[in-house]
Amino acid sequence: MKPENAIEVKDVTKKFKVYLDKGSQLKERLLFHERNRYEERWVLKGISFEVKKGEAIGLIGHNGCGKSTTLKLLTRIIYPDAGSIEMRGRVSSLIELGAGFHPDMSGRENIYTNAAIFGLTKKEIDARMDDIIAFSELEEFLDNPVRTYSSGMYMRLAFSVAINVDADILLIDEILAVGDTNFQAKCFNKLREIKAQGTTIVIVSHSLGQIEQICERSIWIHDGQIRAEGSPRDVHPEYLSFMGEKRQEIAEKEKERQEEKEQKKHHEEAEEKKVSPEELEKTKQDGRWGNGHARIQSVKLYAENGQEQNVFATGSLVMVKVAYELKETVKDAVFGIGVFRSDGVQCYGTNTRIDQLEEFNLTKSGTMCLSLDHVNLLPGEYWLDIAIESEVGIPVDYYRQAAKVEFYSQIGDVGIARIDHKWKLPE
Amino acid sequence: MNNKKKRKRESIMKNLKELYDYRQMIFSLVKKDLRGRYKGSALGFLWTFLNPLLQLVVYSIVFSTIFRNNIEKFYLYLFIGLLPWMFFSSSLTVGSVSVISSKDMVKKIYFPREVLPIAYVTSSFVNMLLCFLVVFIVMIIGGIDPNSTFHWTALLYLPIVMIVEYVLALGFAMLASALTVYFRDLEHILGIITMAWMYATPILYDVSMIQNILVEKGMGNLMHLYMLNPMTPIIVAYHQILYYGQAPDMSTLLSAVVLGLFFLILGYLVFRKLQRGFAEEL
Repeated sequence: MKPENAIEVKDVTKKFKVYLDKGSQLKERLLFHERNRYEERWVLKGISFEVKKGEAIGLIGHNGCGKSTTLKLLTRIIYPDAGSIEMRGRVSSLIELGAGFHPDMSGRENIYTNAAIFGLTKKEIDARMDDIIAFSELEEFLDNPVRTYSSGMYMRLAFSVAINVDADILLIDEILAVGDTNFQAKCFNKLREIKAQGTTIVIVSHSLGQIEQICERSIWIHDGQIRAEGSPRDVHPEYLSFMGEKRQEIAEKEKERQEEKEQKKHHEEAEEKKVSPEELEKTKQDGRWGNGHARIQSVKLYAENGQEQNVFATGSLVMVKVAYELKETVKDAVFGIGVFRSDGVQCYGTNTRIDQLEEFNLTKSGTMCLSLDHVNLLPGEYWLDIAIESEVGIPVDYYRQAAKVEFYSQIGDVGIARIDHKWKLPE
Repeated sequence: MNNKKKRKRESIMKNLKELYDYRQMIFSLVKKDLRGRYKGSALGFLWTFLNPLLQLVVYSIVFSTIFRNNIEKFYLYLFIGLLPWMFFSSSLTVGSVSVISSKDMVKKIYFPREVLPIAYVTSSFVNMLLCFLVVFIVMIIGGIDPNSTFHWTALLYLPIVMIVEYVLALGFAMLASALTVYFRDLEHILGIITMAWMYATPILYDVSMIQNILVEKGMGNLMHLYMLNPMTPIIVAYHQILYYGQAPDMSTLLSAVVLGLFFLILGYLVFRKLQRGFAEEL
C-alpha cells in the first residue's frame, strides 16, 4: 500500500447468488434439490481505484450499477470474490444509521451502545458525549426512550454519533437527507469541517450537487465497471448527458407506445418525431451537449447603458441576452446559468425552475434576457455556462463556457465575491 | 506461499487488536443481555439462582432416592458439576444462534463478528459466577467435616479451571454460531447433542463408576474414548477443588488446558473463515 493512500481497491469483483427458491434446512437441501438453483449475477466486474488520505470522492451511477455494493465492500459487511481492498485507519460509515439502536433504551444509553459498535471505548465515548448531544440538538429528550422519538430525531441522534466517531475514513450512502433543511445544512458544514481535518470521505449519492460541493473526484460506475473518473466538473456533465440520452430513449419508447396506442384508436398515422443519432452527435461537441431541439446561437453581455461589453466593474449590472434557434418545440423549458471563476470554482448558479418561474414552452426562436443586478464578483476572469433543459431535465443545449466576463475593482478586498458590509467603530 | 502465510498471520493479529478495541461493545452487549434476560418476569434476576436450584432439586430426588448411589452429600456433588455444565451447554445451544439473532446488525454495519459469541459466552459466564455464590453459601451452611482432607487452599485453582472452561465454551460457541448461519438445523441438533453429552460427562456420577463398569465388561480401552470428552477433565477438576478440597491433578488440568486451547483455536479459525459470508447468507 502506498503511504499517501487511505484506500486501495484492486481488481475487485463481486457476484451475488440469486436463489430462485432457497431452502436452508437439511430436509429442503436434500429433498428439494431444485430449490437450490440459483443464478449468478456479477455486480462488480473488476474495479480498481485509489483514494488519497484526506481526499473526498463521489461514486455515481444509475440504480443497480454496483456503487452501493462497492461501498458495502469498503465497510467490510461483504467481501470481494476476487481482488483486494486495503484501508488504513478507523472506518466509520453513515450507511445504515441507527442500526443497533434499542428502542426501549434512552437516547443517552443508545449513544453508548451505538458508539461502541463503531469500536469506541467508554472513555472515548465520554469524551465525545457533549459534542454528540450538542450536535443532535436533543438535550431535552435524551433520557426518554428512543421509541418515543420521531423519525427525524432518530436519524439526528444516529447521525450525530456516527459523525463524531473521528474516523480516518468516512463512508456515506445517500444520507444527507437527514432531518430538516437546517439540520442538513449543519451536517454539510460538519462534513466540510471533518474533511478539512484530513478525513478521507467516500460518498455514494444521486445528488450530483452534493458531490460537487464536497468531492474533488468523481468515479462513475456503470454496469460493474468504472466508466469515467476525474473531477466532478468533467465527469458529471458526461454522466448527465448519458443519463439524458437514456431518458430520451425511454421517453421516445414511451412516446412510440403512446403513438401506437393512438394509431390503434384513431386508425391514423401519427407523425414520427425523432432526433436522428447523427443530429445528436452533431450537437455533442466539446463542452456542449444536448438533444439539439433548441440551440443557443449567441450569448451577449450588455452594460446598464445598453452597450455590449465583456469587462465590468465589480458591483455593476450585467445584462445577459441568450439568442436561441428552435428546431423543435421544447415543452416546459428551463433556462439556467452558472458562473465559474477561471479556476473552475462555481460562484453562482440558478435556473428558472429554482427561481420558480412559471413553466413555459418554446415554440419559436427568440431571445432570453437575464438581468444580474449587482454582480459583486471580485476582479478576475469568469466563465458563464448557459443551459436549456426540457421537461424532466433532459439537456436540450448545455453550453459550457458560453461567454467570458472580466471584473475589475479599485478596492483590494479578497475572496470570490464582495459582501455588502458596514463597519461600526468602537465609541 | 510464505508471503500468504505472513499476510494471514497479520490479518489475525489485526483482528485480535480490533477485538480489543471493541471491548466496550462486548461489555455493553453483556450488560444488555444480563439485564434483558429476565426483564418483565415477576421474579426477575432471582431466576438466575432459582433455575439451577430447581434443576438441582429434581436431579437430587431422582438420583439419590430412585437411582441410589454412594456419593456422600450428593446434592453438593451434583450442584458443583451442574453449574459449569449449564454454562457450557447454554454457550453451545443459545450461543449457536448468537449471530443469527443479531442478523439486523450483521447485515447493516461492520464490527468484528466475533464480538457476538464472545458477548454471549461472557454473559453466561457471569451468570455462572453469580450462581457459584449459592454454592459457597451451601458449603458454608452444610459445613465441612473437620476430620476431612478438605483444603481451602485448593480454591486457588478454581479461577484457573473457570478460565479454561470459558476458553473451551468460547471455542464451541464460535464454531456453533458460525456453522448455524449456513445450516439452521444445527440449533436443534445441538439441543439433542448437549442432552446426551451431559450423561457422557461425570456430573451425575463419578468417573470411577464408569471405569468400574467398563472394566467389568472387559471394555477398559473404551475409557480413552470417554476421556476425550473435553468437558470431563474440567468437571473432574471442579469436583476435585470444591467437593474434595484437593488441588486438581496436573494431568487433568493439563489435558483441560490443551483441549480448551485446541477448540478455541479451531472455533476461531472456522469463524474467521465463515464470517465473510455472513451478511449474504443471513
